[in-house]
Amino acid sequence: MDFGVIVVLQVLVAIAHLALISIGLAVIFGMMRVINLAHGEFLMLGGFTVVIAANHGVNLWVAMLIAAPIVVGLIGIVVERLVIRYLYGRMVDTMLATWGLSLLIVGAMTMTFGNTTRGVSAPLGSVAIGRYQSSIYELTLVLAAAALFAIAYLLFRFTRLGLIARATMQNAEMADSLGISTDFVYAVTFGIGAALSGLAGGLLAPLTGVLPTIGVAYVAKAFITVISGGAAVLAGTASASALLGTLDTVATFIATPVVGEMTLLIAAVVLLRLLPEGITGRFLRRAS
Amino acid sequence: MRFGGVEVLRGIDFTVRRRELRCVIGPNGAGKSTLFKCLTGQLTPSAGNILFKGEPIVGLPSFDIAQRGVGIKTQVPSLFDGLTVRQNVWLAARRLLDEAAALATTHSLMERVGIDMIAEAAVGRLAHGQRQLVELAMVVAADPDLILLDEPAAGMTKDEVGRLAELVRELSGEHSIIVVEHDMQFIGMIATTVTVLHQGQILMEDEVGRVMTDPRVRSVYLGKLKVG
Amino acid sequence: MRGSRAWVDGLTVLIAIAVILLVPQLLELYSVINATIYVSMAVLALSLALVWGFGGILCFGQAAFFGLGGYTYAIAAINFGDSNLPVLFAVALPACFAALLGYFVFWGRLNDVYLGVITLTVALILFKFFNATAGDAYKIGKAALGGFNGIPATPPLNLPWDKSVQLAPEQIWYVAATLLLLLYYVSRCLLSTHFGQVVVSIRENERRAELLGYDTRRYKLLIFTVGGAMAGVSGVLFANCVFVSPTMFSLSYNAQIIIWVMIGGLGTLSGPILGSVLLQMLTAELGTLQWLDPNFVLGAILVVFVLLIPRGLQPLIAALGERTFSGLAALGFRRRKWIKP
Repeated sequence: MDFGVIVVLQVLVAIAHLALISIGLAVIFGMMRVINLAHGEFLMLGGFTVVIAANHGVNLWVAMLIAAPIVVGLIGIVVERLVIRYLYGRMVDTMLATWGLSLLIVGAMTMTFGNTTRGVSAPLGSVAIGRYQSSIYELTLVLAAAALFAIAYLLFRFTRLGLIARATMQNAEMADSLGISTDFVYAVTFGIGAALSGLAGGLLAPLTGVLPTIGVAYVAKAFITVISGGAAVLAGTASASALLGTLDTVATFIATPVVGEMTLLIAAVVLLRLLPEGITGRFLRRAS
Repeated sequence: MRFGGVEVLRGIDFTVRRRELRCVIGPNGAGKSTLFKCLTGQLTPSAGNILFKGEPIVGLPSFDIAQRGVGIKTQVPSLFDGLTVRQNVWLAARRLLDEAAALATTHSLMERVGIDMIAEAAVGRLAHGQRQLVELAMVVAADPDLILLDEPAAGMTKDEVGRLAELVRELSGEHSIIVVEHDMQFIGMIATTVTVLHQGQILMEDEVGRVMTDPRVRSVYLGKLKVG
Repeated sequence: MRGSRAWVDGLTVLIAIAVILLVPQLLELYSVINATIYVSMAVLALSLALVWGFGGILCFGQAAFFGLGGYTYAIAAINFGDSNLPVLFAVALPACFAALLGYFVFWGRLNDVYLGVITLTVALILFKFFNATAGDAYKIGKAALGGFNGIPATPPLNLPWDKSVQLAPEQIWYVAATLLLLLYYVSRCLLSTHFGQVVVSIRENERRAELLGYDTRRYKLLIFTVGGAMAGVSGVLFANCVFVSPTMFSLSYNAQIIIWVMIGGLGTLSGPILGSVLLQMLTAELGTLQWLDPNFVLGAILVVFVLLIPRGLQPLIAALGERTFSGLAALGFRRRKWIKP
């Protein structure tokens, strides 16, 4: 019985993990059709912000919920203004440029902070469930992920900012002629996507520690989750995370973590073959 | 043919005989390009069937239909921009012919269509009218039984239109041709039978003189007539 | 429209042969082995140059075939005791894998981006798989897979007609460099055939190629398979001068190949070869500088190139060459028309 509970909890944690690392990429990809391969580095920068802030006496929760998103959000805006905005509509070029940025950021962080892992311990301790111990912090992540999605949904659906952003994404010229500064919208949307990634990275920092190269581990999974999810930013990411997270965890319990990861990857490949436009449908038309 | 909630083509019963030259006209949104896309296999009709030379072709991939003898000059010219005019036409010809024959056909076609002076130009740099001509040469090079021309006269000068009309008349002796056009003068120069599409249905199908003077056709273009 | 650039080719071949012969004479063993590594990477770059630059297929996981080639060779060579069959297998297996993957992707009519993700994912799957094969349980015949350490000692190539004679490092250099030259010209030839021209046209406008009656899926599958086979060859060469390990499948290698092709010149053959050599030399130099991180420099270069020099180095060099020739033509030198390689 308690084993069953543990499995369910682990599944939820895995889903939350995937959802968190993907949401920032989903916003940028889904709203702007920009493939940001530096996404992993946004997560990493969020993690570093938290670790460094916390080690300098800043309250952990403040660091995670305020400092990380703001810092990474600002970096995101800078990146958009300096690089991304010249490449709109050129999908392959944005992939390459952001890949370059990813290397650049990893290199810069390695030069500044060296190649050792830094950490900060997970707060909140653990709770006993039957014979097993479960980290309360991990469970909090599930709530955090759900809350994040809810807030994002409310923001984009019901606020003026959300409406303007969606309108601009669908028809930039029209938005322009209505007096909306499309430059501003693009920069802010990218910034928000980056901030979400920073937040996620910050939330995950206590669990894994930070290293300049941890972004690499995240980007492929995030990418795969977002693409498998399809066009709808929130629904797509949520459903893909749910599916892939469940498969990964179940496979891990049956065999090993490596098998779990491989299952996730194979499942995604099969999914994309069967549903070429992701779970939530019609997105990128065939290139030609 | 239905897209989501919109029925773009409805109840089309349309027949073109071998070596016939047919024009299809109709206001924007009437479904003309959709009709063509169904014929080339780019779109699959949601209901009904299409017979080409007696064989059903619904559901076949575009290349298969093209191999059976359907060629299309699309509304927006679809060419190999990074290659030269000669290479574009050559690729069209080479599928069916061997090396030597393909080169010969390419050469003669470029002359016939009137693009031999720009043979070495990169297609991406050409003007719209010239691109139309290149695409026309490509379509003819593949020697299809059925040629579909979607607004071939768009962007052309008066002279070019005249030459195009002559070319189409020549071609109609050997190929079946369906032309979609807005340019009424051009249609006047080439057509015998005209089909009028409106809101996805065939309004009338008759000899060109009668169609041009029919009051219903006028109203459809001016937006007064609605077909239930 | 194929003009002849026969004398430029002739000159290039002569220079290449000279370089091939001189390298072992002028450089010490360590550098010769290094040069061989550069050459094997150049073959890998060439494979992606074909698939991406001419086929228009953005494969994010080209290193998958590289790794498969290397591993197949090592495992087969350890089991068979000589290198003749292993070399064949090491080219055939990646080719078959590419054919299967290509069938899966192209018949599914997947969009560019999805294709990139899937190919990357496949490479990652292979990486994770081989990484987890530590311990004696993971053996194929006599060859232990070795997990993240890889297979330490690859049996070197031997003379095809005399299995007892194994090739020394200098001889492996000769083989590798000659292969690179050969594969370059074979690729050039391939691209000038009807098949090659259709492949290029598909890159330009797949829809139009289809409407002309070409089954584009088959052409893409073929070029993708050829690319996979070529990457397998580079894996064999690499296995002979370094050793095989899961890093061959890693994101790092996949990224580097793409960067080499992009910076060398997407859409050319010589550009990526050049790009791979230059960038590897740069990375090696940077490795010695303690204060400057190679990733930082590589990343910066990539960003700059995408924004400012999107067509890469080769067109710049070719343009320079053109100007030199026009200059010489003004002096009465006869100039022949040439096409880009």
